[in-house]
Amino acid sequence: MSDITSKPLPGQERFVAPVDKTPLQSVDNVDESAPATSMWADAWRTLRKNPMFIISGIVIIFILIVALFPGLFTKQNPNYCNLDNSLAGSQAGHPFGFDLQGCDVYSRVIYGARTSISVGVLTTLIVVAVGTLVGAIAGFFGGWIDAVLSRIVDIFLAIPMLLGAIVVLQMFRTSSSIWKVVLVLALFGWVSTARIARGAVLSSKNLEFNTASTALGSTPMRNLFRHILPNSVAPIIVIGTTSLGSYIVSEATLSFLGIGLPSSVVSWGGDISKAQSVLRTDPMVLFYPSLALAITVLAFIMMGDAVKDALDPKSRTA
Amino acid sequence: MTNEKQPEETLEEKINDMQREFGPLLEVKDLAVDFTTDEGKPIHAVRDSSFSVYPGQWVAIVGESGSGKSTSAMACLGLLPGTGHIVGGSIKLEGKEISHYTQKQFVSVRGSKMGLVPQDPMSNLNPVWRIGTQVKEAFVANHMDVSHEKRSNLSKALADADIQIKSEGDETFLGSKELPELMEAAGQALIKAGVEGDKYEKRMEYFHNEWVPGSETRWRVADDLIKSGVKDDDAWYIAKKYVVGSTTTDRAAGLLDEAGLPDAAVRARQYPHEFSGGMRQRALIAMGLACRPELLIADEPTSALDVTVQKRILDHLQDLTNSLGTAVLFITHDLGLAAERAQHIVVMYKGQVVESGPSLEVLQNPQHPYTKRLVAAAPSLSSQRIISYEEKGEDASAIMEHKVNEESLEKGDVIIDVEHLTKEFKLPRRREMFKAVDDVSFKIRRGTTLAIVGESGSGKSTVANMVLRLLDPTAGKVLYNGKDIASFKKDSLLEFRHHVQPVFQNPYGSLDPMYSIYRSIEEPLRIHKIGDKESRLKRVKELLDLVELPESVMQRYPNELSGGQRQRIAIARAMALNPDVIVCDEAVSALDVLVQDQILHLLNDLQTQQGLTYLFITHDLAVVRQIADDVVVMQHGKLVEHGTTDEVFMHPKKQYTKDLLDAIPGGKLELGLNLDHKA
Repeated sequence: MSDITSKPLPGQERFVAPVDKTPLQSVDNVDESAPATSMWADAWRTLRKNPMFIISGIVIIFILIVALFPGLFTKQNPNYCNLDNSLAGSQAGHPFGFDLQGCDVYSRVIYGARTSISVGVLTTLIVVAVGTLVGAIAGFFGGWIDAVLSRIVDIFLAIPMLLGAIVVLQMFRTSSSIWKVVLVLALFGWVSTARIARGAVLSSKNLEFNTASTALGSTPMRNLFRHILPNSVAPIIVIGTTSLGSYIVSEATLSFLGIGLPSSVVSWGGDISKAQSVLRTDPMVLFYPSLALAITVLAFIMMGDAVKDALDPKSRTA
Repeated sequence: MTNEKQPEETLEEKINDMQREFGPLLEVKDLAVDFTTDEGKPIHAVRDSSFSVYPGQWVAIVGESGSGKSTSAMACLGLLPGTGHIVGGSIKLEGKEISHYTQKQFVSVRGSKMGLVPQDPMSNLNPVWRIGTQVKEAFVANHMDVSHEKRSNLSKALADADIQIKSEGDETFLGSKELPELMEAAGQALIKAGVEGDKYEKRMEYFHNEWVPGSETRWRVADDLIKSGVKDDDAWYIAKKYVVGSTTTDRAAGLLDEAGLPDAAVRARQYPHEFSGGMRQRALIAMGLACRPELLIADEPTSALDVTVQKRILDHLQDLTNSLGTAVLFITHDLGLAAERAQHIVVMYKGQVVESGPSLEVLQNPQHPYTKRLVAAAPSLSSQRIISYEEKGEDASAIMEHKVNEESLEKGDVIIDVEHLTKEFKLPRRREMFKAVDDVSFKIRRGTTLAIVGESGSGKSTVANMVLRLLDPTAGKVLYNGKDIASFKKDSLLEFRHHVQPVFQNPYGSLDPMYSIYRSIEEPLRIHKIGDKESRLKRVKELLDLVELPESVMQRYPNELSGGQRQRIAIARAMALNPDVIVCDEAVSALDVLVQDQILHLLNDLQTQQGLTYLFITHDLAVVRQIADDVVVMQHGKLVEHGTTDEVFMHPKKQYTKDLLDAIPGGKLELGLNLDHKA
């Protein structure tokens, strides 16, 4: 230790800042004016400022309205086809013209939204429900239960979704309900959600507040439902929203291949498939359903991205 | 100046004169640093910050988290994180302005002129590269000459005044290839000089230890030989013949050896995961000093380490920098450490320098109210047990001593009785079991505080978890009010949980981020089905009042509160059921000194008001002094010493306890002489 009495070096003399320059604040006081922010309120604030979210939100709401009330947009029956109008161009009341069968393309695009949205939403709901359940059980109980469930998930993940769907759908060619497509997509889709859910449950299971809760007298089951699951919801929501778009694409693909929805159901995939034969002469017949499909899928994927940004735990100050 | 040198001038004075002559090595004037938020608004992280570092000097910047101490230092290195940028002031390195430097220009001064020892030894080494490779990277990146020692201007000047200037060749390092031949030649030279028997063995062993390839220079080898009795000419002949330069591998090992790593050559071939925290920090020090910078910036270099390791590393670093003449800018939150190590101290608060000066003078006689506050809150050894204000008011006899419920003491009312507690864990991929806790017994009297102190890995938290029945012991038992807690089933266990509550270390992890503060505090009431909605709301308000937080925080979420505030919430939650015992597992370790002081006072007030019993787990002996009545010292799972706080602090019986006490930074210094002695 240097001698205190020795003269300090230039620039190192004793310095005391004037008190009023840095006024003392009370130690660790609470800022009472700040608004309360739960995770959801926080996420909503982030989303509101995200243009990607606003655009995709408007598009999705519009598509939902179209899907729920197609009658608002067209008076034409999509299944009323007149061969006289085969491949006719646009005319009053038929802005997109007619396809090979003489059906109104515009009304088919409008009615096709319902099919795509139903398949996407229903598949997502089933996938999230089943995936979360299986993932949560695997992650929470661990041990052999986890080992068995994880191997089952691995097996399903090894099967390409589209290939699996084609094989299974071959067996149900006769059924004409959209449910067969929904169930088949869900059958091969739940595994990725289960994986995410398992990971989320595993990581929130080890957080200290669970130990704290146990020490307060809480039971493991109560911890699972009160603490672990609510803290695992965010990643599950994110994967749900992002994969919704991909289920719509898969449905269109299956319908395009002719093994998805029967031709009696109006769907974008089916229409695209039918339009290929006239692609060279009348590309617009193919263009409209494809455009509708692309916009819908893009909107959902953008929405998923925006939600992911908002719910990403890293962007939230710990 | 050199002409008028008086013979009795001490080394210290000589250095002081030289520092005056050289002028400051680093001079920061009115530095201002801003960060930009996402919205484009500037946040003033540092304002009007001025300080200087002279060659060979240790300067400490102290302050709480967020005070701008790291930001100031990183600005000097051009390593401001994220959106940080310098908006004003000047930074001069050896008189040259560097604040406007581009990253490219900074590269030329980083490493070679200024070295950095970062804070977290765990994350600052790349896990896929060998330690030696990472050290090599430091001098390869700066095109260092690995076969010659480079001395700082100060040490050159010192040596110049002292002994003959050494020629460039004399600074050549010893290489590992020549070492065996050198040892042989040295042996023969010793025999020729008539050194025999025991003395011969001793000298050879000394050579063996001292002559480390990549670290020992030619003139030192010659010097050692001459001191052993070898003739000057012979010594220089041997040194010149065999000390002919080292390879990069030798140099890396030599640097690690200098940083105090044993078996450096072997260690250099290992990976970071094979190193303990202290060893990693030594490797980082070796890297920081690899290019012999004039200035070493050490950003909380030992905060993540145990006190005894911290002391060893800093002692070594001090010797090393003294011998190299390196200046150290030392960033720390620990006043004791700053007082002990640095000659000059800079206190920062809210991004500004509030006080600076010679460290002892500043800390013994603080002038700025913030410094005063900081010194008063610093838990150093001289502080006594906290006595709550209520006790102080009540009667005169109680003033000097913390009041324990006399009646229960006389009855020897033991609330927690730990008997021969042992816990074994199975290690992955190993046959044998690991004994985390080995035959530990102690008793806690009602209304008192027992602290368990130990370094990381001592098993203290495992004991806490067993007392809370979060872990089941392998052997031994814990009695609560005379009943074995292992026998508790459903209802009786719930009843036990009602009375024994925890407060955990991590204020960021122990509250569910999805729960509002109200729900968090209400949770224990819900679990134990106490009261209806209205009475619970009333109770939560009472509890918030108890921990001195405004009611308005009820609607908040944990992420909006500071660490100290969260810890208050955790205490409120633990208090909700009116427990008898609270187990605090490192409850104040993550907090700044001022906040820590507040929480300790709060805990103590609660103890007096409610007659609480605490089991206090901590690694910080200074905190123990402030809060505990009895102390249990643990090491490697075993109980080392058990006694009252005064006994243990005044008359430690075991060497380990003494070491722990010695390692408390600034423990022997009296700080804050001008303050009213806080009881």
